[in-house]
This record gives sequence, C-alpha cells and structure tokens, in this order.
Amino acid sequence: MLLSGIQNVRELDARLKHSGMTNVAQQRIGMELKLPEIGENITQGTVTKVLVKVGDSLKKGQNILELETDKAVVEIPSNMDGTISEILVKAGSVVKIGQPVFILSGSTNKPLSPPNVSVGGPEISQPLDTRHKHSGMTENFEPTTPRAVGNTIQDLALPPLGENLEKGTVTKILVKEGDAIKKGQNILELETDKAVLEVPSPVQGVVKEILIKSGTVIKVGQPVFKILSGAVAAPVTNQPSSSPKALVGDLEVSKPLDTRQRPTEVPDMRGQHSGMTENTTTTTPAISAGPAPVRKDISAAPSVRMFAREIGIDIGQVLGSGPGGRISVDDVKKYSKALNTGRIPYPAAATTKSLPDFSKWGNFKREAMSNVRKKTAEHLSFAWNAIPHVTQFEKVDITEIEKLRKLSSTHKKLSITAYLIKIMAIGLQKFPQFNASVDMATNEIVFKDFINIGVAVDTDRGLLVPVLKNVDRLTVPQISDELVAVAERARTRKTGIEELQGGTFTISNLGGIGGSFFTPIVNWPEVAILGVSRGVMEPVYVDGMFLPKLMLPISLSYDHRLIDGADGARFIRWIASALENPSSVEGL
Amino acid sequence: MSAPIKLVVIGAGPGGYAAAFLAADLGLDVTIVEKEINPGGVCLYRGCIPSKAFLHVAKIISEAKHATKFGIDYSAPKIDIKKLLDWKKGIVSKLTGGLGQLTKARKIRYIQGSASFVNSQSLTVKKTDGTSEEVVFDKAILATGSRPSTLPHAPKSPHIWDSTAALDTDHIPESLLVIGGGYIGMELGTVYHELGTKVSVVEMLSSLLPGADPDLADVLNKRVKGMFANIFLETKVLKMDESSNGITVTFADKDGKEFKHEFSKVLISIGRKPNSENLGLENTKVKVLPRGFVQVNDQRRTNDDNIYAIGDIAGDPMLAHKASHEGRVAVESIAGHKVAFEPQAIPAVVFTDPEIAWCGITEGDAQKQGKDVRVVKFPWAASGRALTLDRQDGLTKLIIDPKTERILGVGIVGVGAGEMIAEGVLAVEMGCVANDLKLTIHAHPTMSETVMETAEMFFGTSTHVYRPKK
Repeated sequence: MLLSGIQNVRELDARLKHSGMTNVAQQRIGMELKLPEIGENITQGTVTKVLVKVGDSLKKGQNILELETDKAVVEIPSNMDGTISEILVKAGSVVKIGQPVFILSGSTNKPLSPPNVSVGGPEISQPLDTRHKHSGMTENFEPTTPRAVGNTIQDLALPPLGENLEKGTVTKILVKEGDAIKKGQNILELETDKAVLEVPSPVQGVVKEILIKSGTVIKVGQPVFKILSGAVAAPVTNQPSSSPKALVGDLEVSKPLDTRQRPTEVPDMRGQHSGMTENTTTTTPAISAGPAPVRKDISAAPSVRMFAREIGIDIGQVLGSGPGGRISVDDVKKYSKALNTGRIPYPAAATTKSLPDFSKWGNFKREAMSNVRKKTAEHLSFAWNAIPHVTQFEKVDITEIEKLRKLSSTHKKLSITAYLIKIMAIGLQKFPQFNASVDMATNEIVFKDFINIGVAVDTDRGLLVPVLKNVDRLTVPQISDELVAVAERARTRKTGIEELQGGTFTISNLGGIGGSFFTPIVNWPEVAILGVSRGVMEPVYVDGMFLPKLMLPISLSYDHRLIDGADGARFIRWIASALENPSSVEGL
Repeated sequence: MSAPIKLVVIGAGPGGYAAAFLAADLGLDVTIVEKEINPGGVCLYRGCIPSKAFLHVAKIISEAKHATKFGIDYSAPKIDIKKLLDWKKGIVSKLTGGLGQLTKARKIRYIQGSASFVNSQSLTVKKTDGTSEEVVFDKAILATGSRPSTLPHAPKSPHIWDSTAALDTDHIPESLLVIGGGYIGMELGTVYHELGTKVSVVEMLSSLLPGADPDLADVLNKRVKGMFANIFLETKVLKMDESSNGITVTFADKDGKEFKHEFSKVLISIGRKPNSENLGLENTKVKVLPRGFVQVNDQRRTNDDNIYAIGDIAGDPMLAHKASHEGRVAVESIAGHKVAFEPQAIPAVVFTDPEIAWCGITEGDAQKQGKDVRVVKFPWAASGRALTLDRQDGLTKLIIDPKTERILGVGIVGVGAGEMIAEGVLAVEMGCVANDLKLTIHAHPTMSETVMETAEMFFGTSTHVYRPKK
C-alpha cells in the first residue's frame, strides 16, 4: 500500500507537470481569489480589463477586474487582502462565478467565502453532492483550506444533531481513549427527545481523553473528547463527508500523503488553468459538474435508470430531488436539458432555423453577438412568444406640458421623459393592473406596491433598460436628474446589475430619433410598456378652427392575458389627458 | 430489410431459454444447443424445482407432526418413495415439455447436443444422435451453467451423492452426512430429515449458511439443532472410505482431533463450478477467469465481441433469477437496445424451514465496507399471523442508510420469507425510503406486516413492539 501511495504522488506530480505546472504545491500555497457573486442570475462574464498586476498588494474592496456580463460591464472588487502572485485570467477570458481568477500570497485574512483550494486546476473543485447537504450529521465538512500539519490536541465538540436538537443524554460511548477514529465513525450513542442517535465524528484523530460519561446530558458544541489530530493513520474511507475537496486539501499542504488512500480517490487532474469550474452555488437543478466518480448505488427506479441510459445520460451524474435523493425521470430530463443548453433560459428562444447559404448572392461576414445582444435576443423572443400583445395608439396634445417644461427650465432643462415617468407613476397607482405580473404557474396576478420604471437606453452596445426605483416618491426634477445620471452610466458601461432589475413598467422613448408610432414589446415579467415617438406640430380642429398643436404619438403595448382592450384604451386616454392637462393631475 | 441476426444460445437453463425466447420475440433468428431433450437446465431437471417439490413434502410431514400440539394427531406417514419420485418427475416433465412447446411455437431451432466453438463465428455441435453439425452465427450466448463441485478424496461410490443424486434416489437412507452447510446442503438435509433419515452436517466455517447474516441464520440454526443428529462446525472431512453399510468418514475438528462416523450416504454440497471447459473457448477471444467464470461487461458481452455469457458461467451469485435477467439484458444488447445489468438487489432465498431470504446489502457487507447503516429488526413473536401458525421463529430486518433513510437491504427469516422478500427487492430497487414502507398499508393478518412495522421501528414507534423510553 505504501508503494501505491508513492506512485500516486508521482503520478500526481507527473500529471501536474504535464499540465504545465511545476512545483505546484509551493506555487499554490497561496489563496485563490475567486470571482465573487455579482448579482441575480449572473453566472459568468467576459473579462474586459484586468485592473491589477502581479506583485500588487490588494485591499479588500479594491477593484480588480472589469467584467462584461449579459447585462452590463461591472467592476469586481476583491473580497480579500493579499499580494497577487498569479493572474489566472486575461482580457477576453470568460469566467464563471466561483472560478479562481488570482492567486494571492500572504493573505492576512480569510476570504469572505471559503476558498476552494485546489491542486491541479479548477476542475477538481467539484460541487458537493447536495444530497449530503441536508443531513445534519455530516454537515461538518472539514475546512477546505489547508489544514495545519502536526500533532495538535484539540477539543472535539458535539456536532449539530439535527433540527431543533440541542442536547441529549449519553447512552453509550463507542470509543475509548487511545482509539484512532475516522471521520464519520460513530463515537457516541445519544438519546434525544426524538430518538437514540449515533453521533459520527466530524474529524479524524486519536482520542486522548474522554470528557463526558454515560448518563450525562451534553449540549451541541460542548467538548466531548480531546483529540490528537494530524497523527492519524486511519485510512481515508468512503464516508460521504470526506469530499474530494478535503482530499485535495490534504495533498496540497504537502502533508505526508496518506499512503492508504486509494488511487481511485485521487480526483481527476485533467485540469488546465483556463478550464472552468462549475459554479458550486448554482441553482440549476440536478447538475453535478466534473468527472464525479461513478456511483454504484444509485437511488432511482429501474425504469428511470433505463430512461437515462436510453437518452445517453450517465445517471451517476444526476442529483435526485426525491426522498433520500431518489432520482426521477424529471430529474434526468432537467439534467439533460441543462447539459444541452448550459442553462436553458427560455424554451421559446430555442426555436431556430438554419440560414440559407448567403454566399450564393454575394459576400458577407459573420460577427459574434455581444453578450448584451444575446441576452436581448433571448429575452425579447421569450416575451414575444409568451405574451399576447396588443398595442394601442394615441396622439397626445403636449402643447401645454411643453410650456410647463420650458417654464421650469429656469435652472435646468426637464425632459419630457421625466414628466412621462412621473405621470406614469401616478397612472400606475390608478391602474394597478398595469403594474402587475402574470403567474401562470399558480394562476395568480401579482400586484406590486412599488413603482419602478425602466427606461430603454440606446447604447453603442445595444439596448439597456436601467430602472428608476420608487419613482412615485420622486419629484419631476429629481427624476430628471436621475435620468441623466442613469443614461450616462449606461452609455459609459457603468450600470450596476441591480440597476437593471426590479422594473414594474417600461418607457421607450424614440422621440429623439423620430418616427411616429411603433409597437414596443412588453418587457416581461412586466405587463405593459409605453412607446413614445417624436412630437410634431399639427393643425388640430378645435372649436371650429384649426390650431397649431404639438402632437405626441404614443403607443401602449400590454399583456392581453391580464389587460382587456377597454382597460388599455382607458389607460392610454388617462395618460393622454394627464399630458394634455398637467395641472389637473394631482401630485405632478 | 436485412436478414435477422443469427443468434445461437448454448445451454437452455433459466438463463438460456429466457434469452432465446426474448430473442425470438424480438425477431432474431435463434438456435438453441442443449444436451437435454427440452429446455430447463439444472434448475428444472435437477435443482430448484425438484428440490422444492421435496421440500413441500417435508413441510407437510413436519406440519402433521407439529399438529399434535394443537390436538390433531396423525399416525406416522407411510412413504412410497417411488410414487414421490414419479410425482416429482411429473412436475419436471410438465415444465420442461411446456418449454419445448414454447420453443417450437417461437420457431426456435433446437439442436440436442453439445457445442464447441470453432472460431468467433461458428461452432460445431456434437449431436445426441451421433452426427455433428456446424452452426454459423452472428452472435452467441454462453449459458452453460454450472455443476456441483466434488471433493478430490471422495471415493467413487453409489453412497456418495451430489445434489443431483440426492434428488433422484429410489430409497430413503438410514443416515446421511451433508458436507457443506450452505443452502443446498441445508435444504436437502431438511428434506431427508423429514423423510426419516438421521441427518448430520459438517461445515468448515464456524456457522451454517455463512453467506447469510448471523442473526437470520441463528433462527434456522436453533430449529435444525433439534432436528439434525449432529452439526459439526469448524470441522474438516479428512477421509471417506466405502464400508459395508455406506461410507466411513474421518473428521478433524478445529483442534485437529480426529474422529470417525459411518453414514449410509454422504451428500457433497460444497458449491458449484461453472461449466466453461470443453467449449472451444480457446478458439475465441473469450477470457476465462481463474475460477472458471467468463469475464463479461455490463451488457454481459465477453472479450469476444460476438459472444455473450450469462448465468452461472458469468459469475456469482449462481441463481436462476439472476441468469434469466442477464439473458434478457444480453439479448436486448444484441438487438441494439441500450441496456445494462445493474441490479441494486438480487434476492437470495434459502428454502429451509424456516426460510431465509435477503436482498440488497447485508449487515455483514455493511460492516466489511465500513458503511454507516442502521439496522432495525422486528421479531415475529409480535406478529399475530406468525402465532396462528405457531411459528414465531422469525425476524424481519431492514438495513437503512441513516442519512437518506433509504432502504439498502432487507433480511427475513421465517415461514414464507421467500415470498415476502419480493417487497424488499422492489423497495431496494426503487430506492424506497423507510417512510415509503411505513406508509404503505399492508394486509392484516399477514407476515408482510412485519416489513411495515420494522420501518415504523426505524422511527422509534411500532404498534406491536413497545420500546420503553430510557
């Protein structure tokens, strides 16, 4: 067995060298700085700029990367202190949340999120089998940071027992002083209010002293043994709690390799630096990334296993959602879908047809879609497919409001959009069904008490829709100021992710460009959108004569599932009359 | 349409005929090569079926004796062994004849004889009628089964039996030594005990039924202790000499002390050997492992792309139901379906009285693997149905993963355990959790209720077992 252990180390070393990494243990003693969470639904981004260089000392909060995501360019702050010893990404790299981006040395504190220290590259940081996550007894994973080597005596505290279990009476002590215990080995029998439990050890080591005795009541967290850790030659077992991470952690600090560790437990080392880790916190169901060892005891009905085999899915990779981690046909389908599309965003976007051969008619070039373009395409096809649209048109006499606008422009010019936003904020309170969402899964209508209006902004990278929050509480000049700032941020790629979320209604103003009337697409999950075109002076027949009036074409698209035609007409008429007689609108 | 795949199945036991029948149903061109006149194999001719017929007889005799306790007295049975054998033969010929008809109905070509591979596409059949024939195939399935192992020092004598001889005797011996305390020995020992023979058992290991969990085996052991004349554990058979009245056997106990006994008959039931010899496998790429098994993959394909192997020849456990399942997997694989042999549970049943049955992981396996399990047991003394049979010598146990609460294994000892285990197999195969068994209504009064109540015990409550709060 000793021999095989040595072979292992050699093999490991050889593989690492093969992957272009030498003296890895030393190099990687530093902490990995991983791409932190950026925001809701953001899983990855393209590095547009690396803001630091090797040797820089880094403070927590300092910006380290500029990243273009689906929605915006964001600056990523560091979540730890340290000196940069290696940069693992460059401009143009696509990185995922949780993927290591820098190696820091001399970290003065632990990172905010536990780092997943790995040897051969990102791949080996496999997601934990979530099945084990819910078992109260095994949650005490050993820290994945390198463990201190050497023989230290520490207290073994009673690990958490499960929900609402704080204490229990010791009915049996299953080990004695001098025993070597393995992680996961049962050490105590404990009677609680609910049941007699066997308590597994959260660590491995040698029992030096037993601090409790049979019959006593002990609490979670109370020291029960003194444990000599580090000196253990207990074989690494297949306990679920000894996740691959922990194994890697052991190797990494070049601790004498546990020679009894079986070769099969050495994680796959195929990784290259540029490889990607799967986001371990991903909410995508039923995905476990990486070359997980083949699980022989699969909890799935034979028919489910057959189904998986028939569609070419390795059921060992699928995480079950059923009791005891049982895998259903749906779990397999979800896994398969997720495999095929990464994360399938919207089913409707999947319908594609192959293009004809354009070269028959002339030259052409192909260009990759930007992230913003991709996202827009996906999102709008979904909205178009999911929502039965109706668009109602109206021409509004804005002669009066133009006067008002020019009046107040003594210190600053207020835009017509600012007025529109304010009017919509008031209107949405009167017509709450336009400030709602449709939940077809539950057959419910979601009415929102907040009014956040998105404003479509044309940027050189495409359409962005920053959201102005709680506009009902702002004055027109405040909205106007906000609007200028928001548009500026959008155009200079500084829009934050949270600024693009949470809208309840959208206004798209193309008036600056021209044209009259268009049919805007409702920005799902909202239910209505107002399209504004360019105001034109027109002769309007009033009281027996034609008068010059500034007429603004507006278009209201709405979700016909929720909003009836009559309501649409009523709402657009209310908007029109508010614009025509601004003084009559309370709150403007 | 292309010509159907030519499949030849060698051996028509429960594995071979299941494979051949499915292959024909799937439209393959099927040939069976088999020594017997009809399909059936050891199982039907000389194994499962005849032994169960005898065990049924043993049970009737035993229950008639037992009835005295309830005030029902029968006189001692008069046993007509010839009539008994005829009845057994009737069952066998009815079953195998039926299989012969099913073979014809499916238009399967049936060649009576023994096959030997010429290469990976053809084999020669030495037919029973003395002629021989070359059979060309696209795919072949080896289903040649196994035979009883022998002891090298056993003399050639009509008094030395293997299981085949024990199921085909025309007289009831006065005394019988069963060598090997495995399931075959225990089953046949039980039969002869009830027929009136003085039965002794010798086993090298420290317990009978070494494969079963000790708590299950103990229930049976308690009963056979009162039945068998001698149970020699940790004892070796050194010598067997034919004597005037049978065989004189020299034993050595664990301390090396030798002793002798004479028996009318000696049954050697120390295991079975796969039939992988004399098949011309050396002319193919099939790899034969040291113990005689043929190496196969998950589809039961051997190292030779054209040749599959199923049943006893493909590895342990040597059980008919495993063979049939493998046969279907092999054929579906040949037919291009995506299949794999991947059972979570293969039931094992010992048809003694009481029966022992288990599936999935055993407690012993769990210990060996260092797997954290919780074992819950329900004693049949708390089963009303068991009491009505006056057979409270039973135990139902579940081996459960304490974290996921999944049922990993089920073990049952008691009257009817062999039928009851089906629920356990389904539970393990489906990935049931303890709650699934607990919340499934079981018929009353049946022994199957014990499965439900064992699951209840996992949660600390059981209607019929009171567990005082400590």
